[in-house]
Amino acid sequence: MELAAQQIVNGLSAGMAYALVALGLTLIFGVLHVINFAHGEFYMLGGLAAVVAVRILGLPYLLVLPLVPLVLALVGLLVERLSVGPLLPRRDGLSDALLATYAVSLLLADGVLALRGPAPERIDGLEGSLQLGSIIIGHQRLFVFVVGLLGIAALDYMLRRTRFGKQMRAVAQNRFAAQVVGIDVKAMGQRTFMLGAAIAGLAGALLVPISQFTPLMGHNVVIKAFVVVVIGGMGSVAGAVVCGLALGVLEALLGLMLPEGFTTALVYSLLLLTLLLRPQGLFGKVAR
Amino acid sequence: MKAVHYGRRALVAAAFIAACGGAWAQSAVKLGLIAPTKSLVGKQMVQGAQLAAELINADGGILGGRKIELITYDTNFQPNEGVAVTQRLLTQDGVKVIVGEISSTVALATLQLARASNAVFIAAVPKHPDVTKSGYDKVFRLNSTTEMDGEFITRLKADAKVQRVAVIAENSDFGRVTIDGLKAQLGNRVVMADTYEMTQSEFSTLVTKAKAAGADTICVAGSNMEQYGNILRLQDELKLTARRCVMPGILNSRGVQIAGKGAEGAFSADIYVPSLQTPLNKRFVDAYQAKFKETPEKIEVLGFESVWLAAQAMQKAGTADDAAKIAQALHANSWESPRGKVTFDASGQALAGGLLHLVVKDGKIVTTK
Repeated sequence: MELAAQQIVNGLSAGMAYALVALGLTLIFGVLHVINFAHGEFYMLGGLAAVVAVRILGLPYLLVLPLVPLVLALVGLLVERLSVGPLLPRRDGLSDALLATYAVSLLLADGVLALRGPAPERIDGLEGSLQLGSIIIGHQRLFVFVVGLLGIAALDYMLRRTRFGKQMRAVAQNRFAAQVVGIDVKAMGQRTFMLGAAIAGLAGALLVPISQFTPLMGHNVVIKAFVVVVIGGMGSVAGAVVCGLALGVLEALLGLMLPEGFTTALVYSLLLLTLLLRPQGLFGKVAR
Repeated sequence: MKAVHYGRRALVAAAFIAACGGAWAQSAVKLGLIAPTKSLVGKQMVQGAQLAAELINADGGILGGRKIELITYDTNFQPNEGVAVTQRLLTQDGVKVIVGEISSTVALATLQLARASNAVFIAAVPKHPDVTKSGYDKVFRLNSTTEMDGEFITRLKADAKVQRVAVIAENSDFGRVTIDGLKAQLGNRVVMADTYEMTQSEFSTLVTKAKAAGADTICVAGSNMEQYGNILRLQDELKLTARRCVMPGILNSRGVQIAGKGAEGAFSADIYVPSLQTPLNKRFVDAYQAKFKETPEKIEVLGFESVWLAAQAMQKAGTADDAAKIAQALHANSWESPRGKVTFDASGQALAGGLLHLVVKDGKIVTTK
């Protein structure tokens, strides 16, 4: 039992990372209907920004954390302007944008690889661990979970209560109707992209003290994020959060009983099942 | 008048042809280098190889002043990519000697292709015994095999305090052969054996499993320092008191850095340390530090050796294109390398000194008895 409890704790911090990355992905899909293949690279660049700020600029980690989403929002804007916005009005705009974001993903990952080399890099987050009975929680893992929760709560508030959030939900619900009532859908698209990038970047910066920065870290996490988004429902915030956390915990618990390879296979089977039986995912869309 | 014009033109033409002919005679010797260049361990090997090419060329090249030219391709730990780039090297680039590689899985695949094309393949880092067991006479391997590291496991076996061993290995040929070897030697003292994927970054499940199995010793086997470093770090974070065992051939200072406090007291073994006192080693270490601002370790020296020995063999055989002669030269002679004298047995396995036992003290890797 204690073992299961320890695993659940381990799984929650991994799950929070999945949830945060999936959140940005699902928001972008919900509002723009674009599958952003570069999303993993936003996560990676968030980690890179944290590493650069701590190592080269010498800033303390806690100061760097709120700055990373700001930097990534700018990166998100750039990517949107170059590879999504101009392509969407075309006849095959969505597929073009998908391919373009894939190209951006390769460009960013290989660019960082070429400029920086493949060496992994670690920075110290909150060191040490907490012991509750027989369960040990690393301070950084706890921090990831708490910050993630706060971020999600803030996002939820924003979506429900602020004008910006309501406009975002309107565009997700019906782009044409939103245009008719006077919402600048193009600007909404840009801002959603920036928000998605910012959240992914924050996740990257939170995870670097736990799993190190490598230029290819985005590739590995984006696949899990896609699984979460599909199972949770494309465009559903609740889906991304619940399924992200659930995936982390499921992997951790299954890992106790099965070899890692089986765990991965099982997760992808769930993806397949969802697509076959409930293609809209477990939860509703952003709009509802 | 006409005669003079023709004469001048002929002179110019002759000079041109002579110049071209001269250039052809001095064409570079192409050597194929394969490695997972996107990973740090691959980059380290490539740097060692590049340094060898540089030193050889600075020394005047081989076969009458010809320079070594490395053609490097990324294999990314994937056997299909290894096969694709080897194909390219053999057909498009026309090389007869391929060196390098880290992954046993890739090497085993590449070997088949090299054999079919009758090319020399000098595997630098792969440890799986099968690389030199195919019967091919032109394959060579520089690293020690997991079997040769048996001395390390024998020491583990003899240690009465090692009763419950957990093995955490990468999911590759190297990882699996390591698990098999430990199980064969230690029998039911192995209480847990599990693998992780090459792309994995979350290891808390595996380490917690080892703790739950009541392991008093945790042996980790993985080529990527990011991964084994992370596993060691977790052992400290999750407050495991188990002995930290790193399988032979893996430990390096980057991994120790990543592991932080988790590396303290970790023990391992290897075939090379930069403090080895041989004449070529001093030259190698100094040149490497000057060029790359870092101290070279085992991976770098094997990358160096793969190019260095290939070049020496070509020089001795008097040819850069006759794979049979180059292979024969490698088999028949003893070679000077930074790690001392190297010879090859009939299967192509390098024989060079014994295993050095290592332990991590105060964040540094030191030799121990």
